[in-house]
Amino acid sequence: MLAIRFHGRGGQGAKTASRIVGTAAFLEGFVAQDSPIYGAERRGAPMAAFTRIAKEPIRERGLIAHPDVVVVADASLVGDPAAKVLEGVDATTVLFVNSPMSAEQFSAEVSVVGRLTTLNLTEIALQRLGKRGAISALLGAVAGRLIGLHQVSIHEAVARELAELGLPTSVIEQNQTVAKYCYETVPIVALETRPRRTVPVALHTPTYESPTRGTAGITVGPNSAIRSVGGWRAFRPVLRPDLCNGCWLCFANCPEGAITIKPDGRPAIYYPHCKGCLDCVEVCPTDALTVEQETAATNK
Amino acid sequence: MSWEPQRFKDLHQIPREEHVFPGAPLCAGCGGLESLRLASKVLGSHVVYVNAAGCFTNLATFPFTPLDASWLYTTMGSAPAGAQGVRDALDVLIAKGRLPKDEDVTVVVVGGDGSTYDMALSSTSGAITRKLDFYYFCYDNEAYGNTGVQLSPSTPYGAKTTTSPCAVQRPVGATQEKKDIFEIWRAHNPPYVATVSPRFPLDLEEKFLRASKYRGPKLFLGFAACPTGWMFDPAYTPDVARLAVECGLWPLKEAVDGKVVHTYLPKLSPVDDYLKLQGRFRHLFEPIVRQDVIAHIQDRVTAYWERVKQTELKA
Amino acid sequence: MNQIDQMMMTGNLAAAWGARLADIDYVPAFPITPQTEIVETLAKWCSEGSLNARFVTLDSEHSMMTAAGAAAATGARVFTATSSQGLLHAFEVLYTVVGWRVPLVLVNVSRAVASPITLEPDHNDVLAARDTGFVQIHAETCQEVLDSILMAYRIAEDPRVCLPAIVNLDGFILSFTREPVMVPNPEMVKQFLPPFRPAHLGFKASAPHALGTAVSGGATYSYFRHQLHLASINALGVHDVAAIEFERLFGRRYNVVEGYRLEDAEDVLVMTNAYASKGKAAVDKAREEGRKVGLLRLRMIRPWPADAVRHALIGKRAVAVLDQNLSPGQGGILFQEIAACLYHEPLRPRALCSFIGGLGGKNISEGEFLAIFEQTAEAGIRGNGIGPVLLYTEAEHREMEQLQFLAHELKTGR
Repeated sequence: MLAIRFHGRGGQGAKTASRIVGTAAFLEGFVAQDSPIYGAERRGAPMAAFTRIAKEPIRERGLIAHPDVVVVADASLVGDPAAKVLEGVDATTVLFVNSPMSAEQFSAEVSVVGRLTTLNLTEIALQRLGKRGAISALLGAVAGRLIGLHQVSIHEAVARELAELGLPTSVIEQNQTVAKYCYETVPIVALETRPRRTVPVALHTPTYESPTRGTAGITVGPNSAIRSVGGWRAFRPVLRPDLCNGCWLCFANCPEGAITIKPDGRPAIYYPHCKGCLDCVEVCPTDALTVEQETAATNK
Repeated sequence: MSWEPQRFKDLHQIPREEHVFPGAPLCAGCGGLESLRLASKVLGSHVVYVNAAGCFTNLATFPFTPLDASWLYTTMGSAPAGAQGVRDALDVLIAKGRLPKDEDVTVVVVGGDGSTYDMALSSTSGAITRKLDFYYFCYDNEAYGNTGVQLSPSTPYGAKTTTSPCAVQRPVGATQEKKDIFEIWRAHNPPYVATVSPRFPLDLEEKFLRASKYRGPKLFLGFAACPTGWMFDPAYTPDVARLAVECGLWPLKEAVDGKVVHTYLPKLSPVDDYLKLQGRFRHLFEPIVRQDVIAHIQDRVTAYWERVKQTELKA
Repeated sequence: MNQIDQMMMTGNLAAAWGARLADIDYVPAFPITPQTEIVETLAKWCSEGSLNARFVTLDSEHSMMTAAGAAAATGARVFTATSSQGLLHAFEVLYTVVGWRVPLVLVNVSRAVASPITLEPDHNDVLAARDTGFVQIHAETCQEVLDSILMAYRIAEDPRVCLPAIVNLDGFILSFTREPVMVPNPEMVKQFLPPFRPAHLGFKASAPHALGTAVSGGATYSYFRHQLHLASINALGVHDVAAIEFERLFGRRYNVVEGYRLEDAEDVLVMTNAYASKGKAAVDKAREEGRKVGLLRLRMIRPWPADAVRHALIGKRAVAVLDQNLSPGQGGILFQEIAACLYHEPLRPRALCSFIGGLGGKNISEGEFLAIFEQTAEAGIRGNGIGPVLLYTEAEHREMEQLQFLAHELKTGR
């Protein structure tokens, strides 16, 4: 059995990608099982999806703890411990990251285990599909190539899954073309599966704790601000202070409270709290707020 | 226009202090979160938010909360009953000397339209009838959003949701008319009911301030532009929220002891401008323009404002 | 004097007295037969000032239970009551308030569940709640109803427990039946039940508290739900300490189970609630006729009193469990729980027999009790359990057939 784990942010298409691979495998006569981690629908938040492929019935369920291949749709997730991108990844795991950097460059920047390969799917999507949006077909094609599925299966699977989403034929055909390009372009890393010994775990029986600790409650709020949501951004707002007239429209319209007013009465954006919705840019009357593309370098 | 703000005349009157802090795992560009943030600047931190199941339930996900106020998540249908319990208990504890009066907190129910327009009707009706001293804030994104955008009684005619899809047999999408919860609440005769939109922050904060003068049920219906559910880029949340008001689909009004006053007179631009921005109405424009559906929507809006002109504005 | 003189009172009035003596703060209410007299009495006492509590009628039991839990979460001592359909209507809230770790007492006046709809008692309603995490105590007499409410507050509010509690009494058989009840002296009750000052609850301006938060990740949920289990298990020990104290102050001793003529019994009948009185009468009759039988009454259902049940039943020849409930497709609910806790005992009874009786309040006649003892003895001799056997007589079935004839065959015309 092969286990492929997809990581992405809600809205990027990781779930659809896992289904593209599942459908493609199914079409080739394999037994396939695909599923996402279900949570409340949340665009921008980290999520994961799982595809298992085998020749015999699959007796595993739920999350993939020991992936053969990990496909990462958003490079910023690699550094986010909550996303658990590297969980169960060892030296033999094939790790694909959607990144402008080559595998060598990426490993120099970010220490990762696994056998790395990269391709800049975001840029390809921007150039060939005209938008950054969901890269599900591209992710699916890359994953399919890395596990050795045929391009014609991917081609058909893309059509089926994108039709399920209600996309028009023209868009589906565009996606199929770009998916084929990614299939042919992604640097290959050979798949290597070794038998794995079960790692024993120590069971723990909790003891009774006081009701304060033993209940799902929080007594030190507000504390959400210690988390960064900066990784949710694809674009960031940038303020040109010389053009700002101090009207406070941006401050009033930011849903997050990421814009504060300084003592001089002018706004300041705190980027770890900015999700990149760009509402501030929309409402600014003087164009003092502009939009810049988020890159791994700027996304701190 | 007779309705004039007393305090919030200028954006610089918006308090700088936050009570809903960043880091909440809600969608980027959430119109509901925007309203809550603005409202909390008037409500302050001496509050307990009593929540019904919906998108906002994710606000307090263990171990994080973005609120400097208290929070109690109850169930989808009974947040107003939870509010009743909290308010009554606070009153009893204060009366019996077990809680100092300065530790009292304001009770604020927060729920989405799914809860508000459907299963919470019973508990809301009960709370208003009992003259419960509380706030009710509904963030209305016109669908059951947290479960993936399904039809709710708040979904307007012509909108696509996952359970009112456009298919050959039913090309319109939702064929119901949006339930008029404002009127249902107002029929109970609470001291204060209002509609708000975060794109009109001064109107919103002024209304919360006005409401604070009344004891009893104070109910707010907040327009919550939803990029995820209505399928538009989050950057357009302010445009969608503005056009909803300007084309007349979302009247800004308040009812004090049942008497309705519209607090903003919109330009009444064509509803098309508003509908066109959203993926949930795309089927009304592609592959062909559904003039009949758009006219249906437009006619109802026009009729509404005609009635307003005849009754309220003449007086 | 520790108690006021004895008074004749119904089970419902005894429940109301229990709440009054517990000096409760808040009664969210909703009417349902056969509980309504409880809330009517409390409403009267609150309005005339003999009970210093706020009484509020909610719009449904689902709302009532939410208000109850929310008020308790704010720090008030809360009492409420319901039955059957009402309990079921509040069902999701039962789990919710357990998760909030709020002590409160809910009296359930048992009533068989629809459909078909009826007003008479059985235990499918209250037993459906056994997985919620509520502590559950079942009362046999009106006295026990009053006493159990006082004990329930003490157990529920103990920091080692902090769970809500259900006290169950049978509709009609207890709720509307009058018996002599001793009403404890309120001053003595204060010694038994300290004031409610929960450290982990409350909503205050100076101390914001988020309760009932969402969790993600199964490990977090596992941890919190397991804590409920530990808290419930703690209730066994807390109950015993409370029972000793209760006996010291009021002269009545309650254990988690009650044995009646058990010591030298060969076969044992297990029952709960008010019909256990009939069971005891049947034991006496059988003893007169030469059968060495006894009765075990389960009083605490959650936490499950496994040790007490084992202790009572090991070494016996045969055990008959009389369930006044039925899980279609399986049988008696308590039968299964008893079987499970006896499984590993080398000296477990040779035969475990299941009887279903009293559904919808059906009377259990002396003849039916005789049948139980006879069939159980035979099973004990054979070494093989039987059941579930429905207690339902030939005479009753003949009546049933007549009713079916009227309902389906006799065309009366207009």
